[in-house]
Amino acid sequence: MAASSTSGSGRDIGGSGGGLAAGEMEVEAYRRLFPLPFYERHLLDSVRPDARPLHRARDTSIALGPVASADGSALVKIGDTTMLAAIKLEVMTPSADAPDEGSLAIEFHMPPICSPIVRPGRPAEVAPVISKQLSDVIVSSGMINLKELSLISGKAAWMAYLDIYCLNADGSLFDAALLSAISSFSHLQIPLVSLSDDGRVVAVPGDLLEDKSTPELVNKERKLLLHSIPFSLTCILHKKYILADPTAEEESIMETSITVVLDSSERLVSIYKPGGSVLAHTSTVKDCIVLTKHRMKELQNILEDSLSAMEVV
Amino acid sequence: MGAMTVDRADGRSANQLRPLACSRNILHRAHGSARWSQGDTIVLAAVYGPKAGTKKGENPEKASIEVIWKPKTGQIGKLEKEYEMILKRTLQSVCLMTIHPNTTTSIIVQVFGDDGALLPCAINASCAALVDAGIPLKHLAVAICCGLTEGGSVILDPTRAEEQKIQAFAYLVFPNSPLSVLPSAPSAEDDAPIENGIITSVTHGVMPVVEYFNCLERGRAACAKISEFHRRSLESQVPVVARKQTFEVLWWPHTLTAWPEFHGFACNLSEADVLTVACCCMDMPRT
Amino acid sequence: MATNPSTYALSQSSESKQRLQQRRRLFQETDWTRSDGRSFHQCRPAFLRTGATNAASGSAYAEFGVTKVIVSVFGPRESKKAMMYSGTGRLNCNVSYTTFSTPVRGQGSDHKEYSSMLHKALEGAIILETFPKTTVDVFALVLESGGGDLPVIITCASLALADAGIMMYDLVASVSVSCFGRNLVIDPTSEEEACQDGALMITCMPARNEVTQLTLTGEWTTAKINEAMELCLDACSKLAEVVRSCLKEAASG
Repeated sequence: MAASSTSGSGRDIGGSGGGLAAGEMEVEAYRRLFPLPFYERHLLDSVRPDARPLHRARDTSIALGPVASADGSALVKIGDTTMLAAIKLEVMTPSADAPDEGSLAIEFHMPPICSPIVRPGRPAEVAPVISKQLSDVIVSSGMINLKELSLISGKAAWMAYLDIYCLNADGSLFDAALLSAISSFSHLQIPLVSLSDDGRVVAVPGDLLEDKSTPELVNKERKLLLHSIPFSLTCILHKKYILADPTAEEESIMETSITVVLDSSERLVSIYKPGGSVLAHTSTVKDCIVLTKHRMKELQNILEDSLSAMEVV
Repeated sequence: MGAMTVDRADGRSANQLRPLACSRNILHRAHGSARWSQGDTIVLAAVYGPKAGTKKGENPEKASIEVIWKPKTGQIGKLEKEYEMILKRTLQSVCLMTIHPNTTTSIIVQVFGDDGALLPCAINASCAALVDAGIPLKHLAVAICCGLTEGGSVILDPTRAEEQKIQAFAYLVFPNSPLSVLPSAPSAEDDAPIENGIITSVTHGVMPVVEYFNCLERGRAACAKISEFHRRSLESQVPVVARKQTFEVLWWPHTLTAWPEFHGFACNLSEADVLTVACCCMDMPRT
Repeated sequence: MATNPSTYALSQSSESKQRLQQRRRLFQETDWTRSDGRSFHQCRPAFLRTGATNAASGSAYAEFGVTKVIVSVFGPRESKKAMMYSGTGRLNCNVSYTTFSTPVRGQGSDHKEYSSMLHKALEGAIILETFPKTTVDVFALVLESGGGDLPVIITCASLALADAGIMMYDLVASVSVSCFGRNLVIDPTSEEEACQDGALMITCMPARNEVTQLTLTGEWTTAKINEAMELCLDACSKLAEVVRSCLKEAASG
């Protein structure tokens, strides 16, 4: 594949390229040497190098329950960005000021396998920031009623440890992480428990449930009720263009990003735009919100499909 | 929403900010420093640099900015890491990063008091410190916190107690308007005046979409006021005729030609000249 | 969320300790069935695939029963600034566990020595002279730990290295064997590992018939060691075939 470095032949990309003539430059070389002009030529034609229209998000898939040892888990792929999220429930003593509430601990990890930037002992700068963003969004959206995590008022409640691992970092990390978080919460199966003689909460194995001699169950509900689930979309702003769901390459070349989080009743959970050289005007923000609404519908369908697929199995 | 009578513990009206105060050049070893307070929220920002070299992974063809957040007590956690990141990206957007390639400018933010709206206060302080250090800026970044009360009305610059009670709040950062620096400049009545653009937006809590735009409007109006204050405090502290033989301040309004006039020069400089002047001044030893 | 209250994981009711004792006794007997229905000398089905992480130069995913591992290879790339000049390349290995890899959260960090063991297992197989002054990073993440973690990591790492195009003398395959009384059990699960009397792990380059690493723990007789080594070497050469066919598939597909 070849394209001239001078004429606007960035448009032929994807077509069958001819041989390498004099004065021409290979597309890959041009892409590396002049990333911004390379992108801008695409943007002129309202298309991106991966053949997506500007407002289209990458293919998204959700697989529920990949981690057998966890109480709830999900593997989410948005394009090549891959997130593995798992919830493990442990028992805690609730705090005195909220005796009927359980607790959430959300952690986002970027292990060294996910990106060349991260090395052992030198964690990615963004990991704690995304961690914080995720807890803020999940807690403030009110998706989870912490009272549902209570077991025995004042004595025992669930602490839900949600750990999200980025297995492949290719842009829009927050979106993928949030989707994996809500998917693993939808997949969560709360174990049935009873109280042992020494006052500890113990699991009741499935085969003993019918047994009359088993001690009384503490909880009945095995599913969490999720209220107004938050969905997000990250967009890159470049000049007057809005690029939805950017790849890592796009994020590194055009650095202004804006993340909109809406809940299922279309209320705003977060608008996150940390700086960047492009200013967001009201109309831009409105456009991003509209894009997020579309994306939310898409994601709701994908999540529903994977949930119903699980029920069939 | 019409209910404008919001009861605030300190007797302020919904649109009223706490008293602002800014003093610059208060640290002698730093290249620039500023103390900014909004009521009892007090932040000291110090600027060191530009120092030679960038960190690994940063683009050496541009200047690099490093932000170090020092909380009032204790160690830094996730919240402070997030603040560092937002502050860094916000300042990157106002600095002219191409003027000093392959250098690093460090901004150290020391929190003295946190009574709500801490991040906006830190952004305002850092901007004042950058001006004090003579770091070339495109414009100032002006930050505000808008809170949305349970009753659905917007309050500005909430205190910590108010922040905990309210349903949601937004930290908003806008560029300051070039108009008010030079009243005679042609008004930027383009389709999108730059002071309407959002540099940074960070929100907490759920709110209806319309309320966010309501916040934007109020925040923008308030930022015009803060930017007015910023400017006045700069004017009072800037030596119009260079008293210290070196310029303390090297920032110019968006209309670049206005800059020399602002500093009392009566000459016509092109944009390139202004940049040259800026560079020369940066190289001068500080007294 | 400043300080998380102390929490505890659910134990499978109170008799779990008794069960462990029971199992230990059972495993000492001459004849028992493995929980996954395998015979003593049968390995778990191995699933291997290259290209798990496209940000890396090469990567591989391995699934042996419950054990799931991803290995990414980065480089050859610039060595750390502080490193001295070196005419041969450097190999840097790191193994980490997800917090949910073990039945009880956060126990995966017990395997600090795995990073250096992975390094030692691979070092002998890589032609370090082909990338002087630079470093190849091999990072492994154990998604789920179900026994025989280190052999799986090593085998998966060798596949990832091949995927990255790093020159090696041969593929590296690794298999472990547990000893229970008079029985030798190949490719043990974590349940079996918890009760074993001794363990032997061999990492080798089957085509060259060279062993790069051999670890032996617990009580063994010489005859048993010989028998276990034979068993492992045989399994290694079969495993290497699986790895090779996976590479061929990736190259042709």
